[in-house]
Amino acid sequence: MLKIKNDLWEKIRDGDSSAFEELYDGFAGAMFSLSLEILGDRWEAEEVIQDIFSVLWKKPEAYSPKKGKFTSWLLVLTRNRSIDRYRSRKRRLDRGETDEILQSRPDQSDKDGAEKATVSDEREHLNRAFSNLPPEQRKVLELSYFKGMNQQSIAEFLDISLGTVKSRTRLGIEKLRNSLSNLRI
Amino acid sequence: METIKQKALDYALGVLPKEDSLLFEALLEENDEARLSLAEAQEDCAKIALSTKPKTLGNEVKQRILEYSQPNLNFDPFLASDPIQSLRNNFLPASARYQGGGGGIPLTDITNAKLQDEINQLYEDLITLSPLVAGNSNAAAGDMTLLKSTLKSMPSFTESVDNLLSRPIDEDKIGVGAQSIHRTLLSSMPSLGFFSDRLNGDSHSMGDVRRLFYLCRDQLKIMRASFDDIDPIRLIEDEKLRLHSAGLLQTKWWGAEHAYFSSQGKVRCGHFFDGPVTERCVEFAEYDANMYCLANLLSPRSSNGEFHLELVKDAVPNCILAIATAETSQAKHGELDQIINGITSPDSSLKNDLVLWNLIEESMTRAHHHTSVADLRSESLFGCHRLENSSYLWFAWPAIENSQDGAVA
Repeated sequence: MLKIKNDLWEKIRDGDSSAFEELYDGFAGAMFSLSLEILGDRWEAEEVIQDIFSVLWKKPEAYSPKKGKFTSWLLVLTRNRSIDRYRSRKRRLDRGETDEILQSRPDQSDKDGAEKATVSDEREHLNRAFSNLPPEQRKVLELSYFKGMNQQSIAEFLDISLGTVKSRTRLGIEKLRNSLSNLRI
Repeated sequence: METIKQKALDYALGVLPKEDSLLFEALLEENDEARLSLAEAQEDCAKIALSTKPKTLGNEVKQRILEYSQPNLNFDPFLASDPIQSLRNNFLPASARYQGGGGGIPLTDITNAKLQDEINQLYEDLITLSPLVAGNSNAAAGDMTLLKSTLKSMPSFTESVDNLLSRPIDEDKIGVGAQSIHRTLLSSMPSLGFFSDRLNGDSHSMGDVRRLFYLCRDQLKIMRASFDDIDPIRLIEDEKLRLHSAGLLQTKWWGAEHAYFSSQGKVRCGHFFDGPVTERCVEFAEYDANMYCLANLLSPRSSNGEFHLELVKDAVPNCILAIATAETSQAKHGELDQIINGITSPDSSLKNDLVLWNLIEESMTRAHHHTSVADLRSESLFGCHRLENSSYLWFAWPAIENSQDGAVA
């Protein structure tokens, strides 16, 4: 599922539609899962994925190998666009805007019927590694990565010092890296 | 952890203050260690990303996305055609840009109390339905139980539209009142009825839930713009200045299935520009209704079940052109030509189609601050044209000057 050939971006840049499809088959699910985790809204998450694939086809030069690994870049883009939407929605709600959809959002944290899909070994491993982080480190990473909160806001939210936020972030990342050192993503 | 590594991680997490971000980006240009650190941080973040529980995308999403890699339709011949050339030569923007509004009446002005009640009930049913098809609903997660039981407890939207259309609407109140009712019943409502019926049956997909979500949202806004007392609190929000981007229309229409009563069609897009189309929800609702009218006119007449919707900016200065095109037979094009260029007493088969076009014409008089439909037609601000085997319908909407990119709906 996560095995993306290194030359896929070059092929897409050259207009190869089968490479575009190969990327979708291999990686759209991971991008969608991330976006849905952040947004909690299936249609918005689909829109994020649709937008990114549109950009990738129309302006493939938005990526360059200088920007790091292609798949890592795609996930950064997915995360950032999802966070932007999440913040925009939050701003609207904070302003008290009435919207028949926004007002009636039930919590849908764990209801995706599609979760029945087989979890690949690698993703199961990743999920376990993240779940096994000490709760205080996992919380800081969740707030930072999935909710897009800056470190000062996290410090205020959890009532801890900025330095503690930084150290928990660093330690969490290091632990995650160590426990996943054998994985190729 | 060294400072560069910490900065790279903060940058990858998006938590670096703006000024520090700019400094780090400058460092990336010249410092290998910074680049390596960023690559490493991005991979660490990718691991967090991939720790999320896997969710699957429906096949219809794949179909939509792969359409990006298909060749776009060539619009150059149409944009070089005589009517568009004429529009280019004649169009002058109004001094004050239209921002929507003025196309509605109070629902209480409708003298037929039963009709008034039925429209109110339609709105309330849609308010009930909307959260059940939202992206965070059970239905969007694959559990249709609540959606289906709710749909079964409501009257069929298709039947409601048929019943309402069978009333002597024109006698109720001529002019704006009739337009408000027609806009409510004939723009997005037929498609909404089709998809809700399908979801109420056994053969449906996740794509139908998504389509119904957009249709409910659009229909509610169209109804608020048509009847300004139906939901005054939400109308206040609709009237606030808020840019709406072409991307909202593209996302909704791209690769969508469209239905106009029993006729179904597949929508293709390709040339949507980036940037705002309208400045307020009430304006967007009117624009949306016009787009649905174009789709409803063309979709049943397509020879191959497909039609294209496009939004083109700058082909005519100060204008955004909404274009709908499909391959049509000469006979079907003849019908469109009749509807758009002159028929005044249509037989019953074309009556609703004439209403659809009249809705666009009336909207154009507001958008261009003009009272004469004939003048607007002669300036090619809207029309119908045939090129080879295809019919083209269009309307020109005043562009937003010095606009930033559009925001969310």
